Amino acid sequence: MYLAFCGLVIVVALSSLGSMGGGAYSLIGAVFILVALGVLLVMNWADFVIFPLVTNLLGVSFQPAKDYRIVKTQDAVVKNVNGLFYATGYVTANVFAYTFKAEQQQQDQELKAVQAPETWERAVMNIGFPFKYHVLSAGLDVQKVRDELEGKRSFQEFQLSRAMQAQNVNEMTVTEIQRKINVLQTKIARIGEGEKPIATIMYFETTAVGVSEKAALDLLSAQIKQLEVAMSGMDVQLARIVGRELYTLFQFNFSLPTTYEEAATNFDIQS
Amino acid sequence: MDKKIFVFLGFFISSVVVLIIAGSAPLTILPAPAKLLLLLVSMALDILAFSSRYYTYLLLPFMQQRSSNIVLSNEDAYWLSTASDSVIRKDGEDYIATVYIRIPVYRSATEMSDDEKLDFSRRVSRLVGISKSPARYTAELHMMNKDYYIQQLRDTISKVENEEVQLVQNNGSPGDIERVRGKLAMWHNILDHIGGVQSFELTHYATVSARGAKEYEAVSIAQQDARELLSGIGSTFGVTPSIVTGKELLNYIEPEYLIPFSTISEQISKNVQEEVI
Repeated sequence: MYLAFCGLVIVVALSSLGSMGGGAYSLIGAVFILVALGVLLVMNWADFVIFPLVTNLLGVSFQPAKDYRIVKTQDAVVKNVNGLFYATGYVTANVFAYTFKAEQQQQDQELKAVQAPETWERAVMNIGFPFKYHVLSAGLDVQKVRDELEGKRSFQEFQLSRAMQAQNVNEMTVTEIQRKINVLQTKIARIGEGEKPIATIMYFETTAVGVSEKAALDLLSAQIKQLEVAMSGMDVQLARIVGRELYTLFQFNFSLPTTYEEAATNFDIQS
Repeated sequence: MDKKIFVFLGFFISSVVVLIIAGSAPLTILPAPAKLLLLLVSMALDILAFSSRYYTYLLLPFMQQRSSNIVLSNEDAYWLSTASDSVIRKDGEDYIATVYIRIPVYRSATEMSDDEKLDFSRRVSRLVGISKSPARYTAELHMMNKDYYIQQLRDTISKVENEEVQLVQNNGSPGDIERVRGKLAMWHNILDHIGGVQSFELTHYATVSARGAKEYEAVSIAQQDARELLSGIGSTFGVTPSIVTGKELLNYIEPEYLIPFSTISEQISKNVQEEVI
């Protein structure tokens, strides 16, 4: 909705370029409009790139609560406790192999499930600093999810039949569509077996301490790198969280979203 | 209606109005450079309107304060309920109460057979799907607070030192003096070892929140949700989870409780040494 409305302004602006009498002014105007369009598109899909860039450029930091400060790079929350600085950073940690994204054979999944507790323990033993691993989950409406998945499967089946009827059948496209259908089929089958569909947000939180803010932030960055190394044994995708999601996760320390919708609006990109 | 919509509409309408002026005014009244400027303003307002989708919480304080440190809130992030069993914060007109549930899991994968490991993984999967409303499950590795233990060791050392001094002053037997000195060396060794090694503790807990128009309402709903979660966790894992109360809550909230004071000086001096080297 936001993109549609703001895009409309861009379209109107483009059509009004003629009122500038043409020439250099119209050209400069067109450049402004195109830059604005570019910013809107980046903001829509990757606001976490633009936002820290702006705050870093302006040197702006935020105080989300008493004694806390979100630094200008938007990647850490710092707490000052009697002159000691505690920097906390967050890292997404979506464990793919154990979620619906899996499309492996049942045997492969079982093997991963057997190895998981030991791999986790080994990873934890290699970490010499405090951290938290959070899994925020919310149950979804079974019927709604099933209908949605069946709709997606029908669409993919339609795509597959179109790809098969083409004069030059592209093997790559067919394989890709079949893979998507298999993933959807696995999800539908799991719901059919009685598994409850859930939405999850998984993330790491780690804290470093230092006598200055810089020392704490440097140590935090080192800890996050170590965390990535330690967790490399698990099938997990790690990415440091910046921007508004950092602020949301900071708030999760004191209160969680109370409905699924509330959680989903905060993490529409991650979900 | 959500404040976000008003902010969006404010910027959006401003953007449209400025654009209409730039587009409709004849060049005799508004020359091309002025029109270009208005177009630039309109585009900036359009971008701000779009930014309000995610950043309403920042846009207004940023415009009002215009400083390099924007204060979103100057109040404590939370407070404890009167029974010290929930963390409360205000969100708009509502109160949100959060309850922490400790999950005592002491089993290690090293002592499990493959079947037990598979069963454990499945239990964890089931645990995550217990609650229909959002719940968070956490594994926390924190440094153990050894302040009390270290203080006890120091007290013991000073007691043994007094004992040694008295024995020397009263011409005690060499055997007794030797024994006390040995004891003193032992306690010093223990203190050095305890102070020099960081000890970690892995704890597991679940968190659930509830919203209410009044503080007691939010607390009551959150406690009710927590009790439901307690029974779910208990039956899934075969353990007895408990609601965290009092000062223990701070272990799960405040960063300074993750790294207690006793370990900080040791860690900082270690970092300084590494930097010097």
